[in-house]
Amino acid sequence: MMNKEDIFRLVVEHTREVLPELEEYNIQPNDRLVDLGANSVDRAEIIMRTMESLSLKVPRVELFGAKNIEELVELLYEKIQSV
Amino acid sequence: MLRTASFSGQVGLITILEAWEEAKLDKADPSRIGLVIGGSNFQQRDMVQMHEAYADRVHFVRPTYGLTFMDSDLVGLCTEQFGIKGISYTLGGASASGQLAIIQAIQAVQSGQVDICIAMGALMDVSYWECQAFRSLGAMGSDRFADEPEKACRPFDRERDGFIYGESCGAVVIERTESAISRQITPYAIITGWAVGMDASRNPHPSYEGEVQVIKKALEQAKLSPHQIDYVNPHGTGSLVGDEIEIKAIVDCQLSNAAINATKSITGHGLSSSGAVEVIATLLQMKESRLHPTRNLESPIEESCNWVRDQSITHHVKHALSLNIGFGGINTAICFYKI
Repeated sequence: MMNKEDIFRLVVEHTREVLPELEEYNIQPNDRLVDLGANSVDRAEIIMRTMESLSLKVPRVELFGAKNIEELVELLYEKIQSV
Repeated sequence: MLRTASFSGQVGLITILEAWEEAKLDKADPSRIGLVIGGSNFQQRDMVQMHEAYADRVHFVRPTYGLTFMDSDLVGLCTEQFGIKGISYTLGGASASGQLAIIQAIQAVQSGQVDICIAMGALMDVSYWECQAFRSLGAMGSDRFADEPEKACRPFDRERDGFIYGESCGAVVIERTESAISRQITPYAIITGWAVGMDASRNPHPSYEGEVQVIKKALEQAKLSPHQIDYVNPHGTGSLVGDEIEIKAIVDCQLSNAAINATKSITGHGLSSSGAVEVIATLLQMKESRLHPTRNLESPIEESCNWVRDQSITHHVKHALSLNIGFGGINTAICFYKI
C-alpha cells in the first residue's frame, strides 16, 4: 500500500511530465499546481495520470477541492484507503 | 502545451513558427491575422493508440484526449501560441485541403476579414487502418517495391501502382503586396488566378472535365494563355488512374511546353498537407530558378510533356500553375507570378 510520501512523489512525477519546465524546480507539498503554471487542462491531466498510476477508479469530481498538492495527496490517500 | 498536443498539433506549431518568423508577423496586428488549417481527421494514429492503450481501462483515458480527438484542437493550439485573434478554422478537402486552405485564405484577405491569413496544410497522421483502406480502395501503392522502397514512389511512371504516403506539413502567408512590403518582406510571388471546381462525384477517381475546368478558370482569371505558363506543379500522386487523367488534362489544356515535375516523387503524398507543401515547392523553385527532379520517372506515361527527369535543371519561371485533386470530386488550381 502506498503511503503519502509515495503519492506525493507520483504527483511530482506526473506534474513534471505535463510541465517539463519544472524539471529543475523542487516541488513542495504546499505548492499549488495553478501557481506552478498548470491550467485546468494540465491539472486534469496530472490528476488523471496519478489516478492511473494508483489504479484509483473513482470519479474525478471526488478529488475536487484540494487547495494545494498536500491536500490533493491527502484526498488521494483517503480514496485508496476506502476502495 | 507540446506534451499534451497530438503529433499533428506539434508539427503544426513548428511549421507556423517558421512561417511566422520569416514573414515577421510579430510586427503585424494579431487581431488582423487569420489562420485557415486545411485538412480533417488529422489525428487518426494518436486515436488508435489511445483506444488500444485504454481499451480495458477507459476510466483512465487522458483528459486531453477530449481536446486532441478534434481537428479544431490545432486551431486552439496555434492561435494560442501565436496570439492570433482574427479568424481561424479547419477546412476539409481531402488531398486538395492544403490548396483549398490557401484559396480560402486569399478570399479572407480579399474580403477584408483579415489583412494577413496563414494557410496551413496540416499533417495527416494516418493509422494502419487508413493505410489498409487506401490500399483496398486501390489508391495506395502495393508492396511490390518492398525490397527497394526508394523505387516505390513513382508518379507518372509506367511502373507506378499507387501513391506512397509521406508525412509533411506546410504553411504559407497570404496578404496584399503593400502589407508585406510594410514589414520589409519581399513576397515569393503574386497570386494571379485560382479556381475550385467539383465533379459532383463521391468516387475517388478524378474527372478529366473537372481538371480541365479548373485549369481553364485559373488561367482565365490570371489573364494568361496556356503558353505563358513556364512551369506546372501537378497533383501527380502515382495513382494508376489519377496520373493518366491529370496528364491528359494538362496536355489538352496546351500546357505541354511548360516544364513539369512531381513534388510527391520526393515528399510522398501528405494527403491534407500536400497542396500547401507543393505550393511551397513551387514558390521555392520560382525563387531559385531551379526545378527539382522527378524521382523514379524512368518511363513517363506521356512522352510529349517537358519533364524534369532525374536531374534538377535551371529554369526561369515567370508564371507557374499548381494543381490539386481530392477525394470527393474536388479540383483546385492556383497561378503564381514571380515579381
